[in-house]
Amino acid sequence: MKFSNADFYQLRWSLAAIGASILLSSIILYSSSEYADFAQKDRRVAQSQMNDGRNRLTMARQDQENLSDFSKEYDTLEKNKIIGDDHRLDWMEGLEKLRNQNRVIDFRYNISPQKIYAPQPAIDSGNYDIHYSEMKLQFDLLHEGQLLNFFDALRNQIKGQYQLEGCTLQHIDTPENEATPNATHIKAECNGGWITLKNRSAPQ
Amino acid sequence: MRHSLLLFLSADRLHAQLMAGGKIALQHDFIDTPEGRKNFESFLQTIKYPVYLLTDLIEEDFRHEIVPHLSGSSRTALLQRKFDQFYRGTPFHQATRLQRQKTGRRDDDMLFSALTNPALILPWLNIMLAQQTPLAGIYSVPQISAPLVKDHPSNHLLLISWEKFSGLRQTYFSEHRLQISRMTPIHAGLTFQDAVVNEITRTYQYLKSLSLLPSGQILDVRILCHAHDRSELQNKLSKAPEMRYDFADIEAVGQQLKINYRFTDSDTSQIFLHQLAASRPSTNYANAEHTRYYTLWQLRRALNWSGGVLLLVSMLWAITTFWQSGENASEAETLKIQAQRTLKEAQQISQNFSGAHAPAADMKASVSVMRKLDQYQPVPQIILKPISAALDRFPQIEVNELGWQQSATEPVAINTRADVPAQVITLKGDLQGFANNYRAALAYLDRFQLELGVRGYQVTALTKPLDVSPGGSIADRREARENELVFSFKLVWRPAT
Repeated sequence: MKFSNADFYQLRWSLAAIGASILLSSIILYSSSEYADFAQKDRRVAQSQMNDGRNRLTMARQDQENLSDFSKEYDTLEKNKIIGDDHRLDWMEGLEKLRNQNRVIDFRYNISPQKIYAPQPAIDSGNYDIHYSEMKLQFDLLHEGQLLNFFDALRNQIKGQYQLEGCTLQHIDTPENEATPNATHIKAECNGGWITLKNRSAPQ
Repeated sequence: MRHSLLLFLSADRLHAQLMAGGKIALQHDFIDTPEGRKNFESFLQTIKYPVYLLTDLIEEDFRHEIVPHLSGSSRTALLQRKFDQFYRGTPFHQATRLQRQKTGRRDDDMLFSALTNPALILPWLNIMLAQQTPLAGIYSVPQISAPLVKDHPSNHLLLISWEKFSGLRQTYFSEHRLQISRMTPIHAGLTFQDAVVNEITRTYQYLKSLSLLPSGQILDVRILCHAHDRSELQNKLSKAPEMRYDFADIEAVGQQLKINYRFTDSDTSQIFLHQLAASRPSTNYANAEHTRYYTLWQLRRALNWSGGVLLLVSMLWAITTFWQSGENASEAETLKIQAQRTLKEAQQISQNFSGAHAPAADMKASVSVMRKLDQYQPVPQIILKPISAALDRFPQIEVNELGWQQSATEPVAINTRADVPAQVITLKGDLQGFANNYRAALAYLDRFQLELGVRGYQVTALTKPLDVSPGGSIADRREARENELVFSFKLVWRPAT
């Protein structure tokens, strides 16, 4: 059977109905799909807010724990002038004080310009730069114990952290100095540096 | 509720009945006169349901033909040729395949039939076409009689029925397939029973003459009649050895076919009409032009249903989506509330230590750095004390030079910490009191090396007083002095794990 225009006229309301149904169905499906997308996105955003909140809470709790665990030690670091800038005058005055205590026969020191320290193995220094002012020491010693005694005194009496990295001790026993009391029997050279921690957020 | 209009066309009238859910909702008879047709036209204006036209006319012809088994356009062309050959003057024709032969070319055994007097149908049909009535098809009583005999065991059966406005219908089935049908009007003054008695013998002779009934074969006769007419029929029908009678109670048949109608006489019109409404044959006498409005009606219905189903499915889909998304939305709401609560808790904790002069993380970082650096530089006593203790056990060793330096590149020994740098100690000395007894000196030095190893150092001999290895070269040492039994060791130390 072939369709004529009159047949289409007869079908007009049914065609209109299915057209309307297709249109309405499309609108319904599109709207529901949009709503589903929106709800899913909203859920993702809420989940990310929740994760953020949890992270912040975890950090806050960690901070709380850190505060109780580390605040005393941090105060000590501040008191010892390890946090912040170099205190070279303090170091010099401290070393002179040690010289006056005659803990070794003689010593000489040389402090180099400050630089950023990269310890090996590497250390996670958080928000801090580790600054390092290299100081080399040369000693005239009567015996090895004087060296150990000197570094004990340096650690206890001078505010700051001297990081001793190595020493070389050499006996210089000769017939002349063996006969002389209080003569130098050992020459020592030590290297290390003064450590300070500079907060990157702190004003320069 | 399913609605349809059933039309029963006899020679001089048209019976119409509107069916609603299997029951007769409305019925009307229209005489074949101009007035009757006009009434039918008016009647149709109120009816917009599918129409089934059942004809019961004398002028219906049946022809058996064996045709080649074809399909598609070849079959259509063949059938059209046959229609042109047999029934040129009528558009109401059809072909039904009775069976496919089992031998030879396996041709098709076809029954061609036609309503040969279109003038009886066309006036009514034209009214329906003019009214754009959805005519589903044009059928005939013989065509829909087969289900009434399908349970009969006989292979040669004559079905006799009586339609009040048409007459006596005799339809012959061979092996339950329609072969031929005759219609005899019943004139006034002649009863149904008398007509049956008169016609049955003629039909028997007719079938014999056409060789449709094999010689010596008993003809089974099934008569559809009301219980009231049965006994009279039984009395009047002479008992002949070549015929066997079977009386089917029209009410029992009606119940069997689930026809909701009260039969008061032997008129079988309602049996055939209901049978048509219940199960339409696959072929009929109407062509595509006759059923144009039914096709459009079906299309309209399909479109409406499709639109409805589409809308319903979309709505169900949308409801499901909204329902599922609702879970997401409520979950999002809960998460947001929880997130706010968590943030508030975090803020409260942070406020508690807002008076500290450094952020807690910075405190931790600075303290951790300094703790670590402390581990990197053990106090010299820790490094030197074991060496000093070992030297006390080996008084013949005199230390000339001792140095230590941090190194992160040294290999890590078992059971020592890898996260701190190693202390590499260089020990240079000489052996006293061995004169030229190198064997004893070397043994003494070996024991010293072992002692240092026991005390936690990895010891490597850099130089020895005498190189006695196969790769070394040895010279005369007669002039060697006491202090020339020198050696140097490299000691590596890391804190134990």
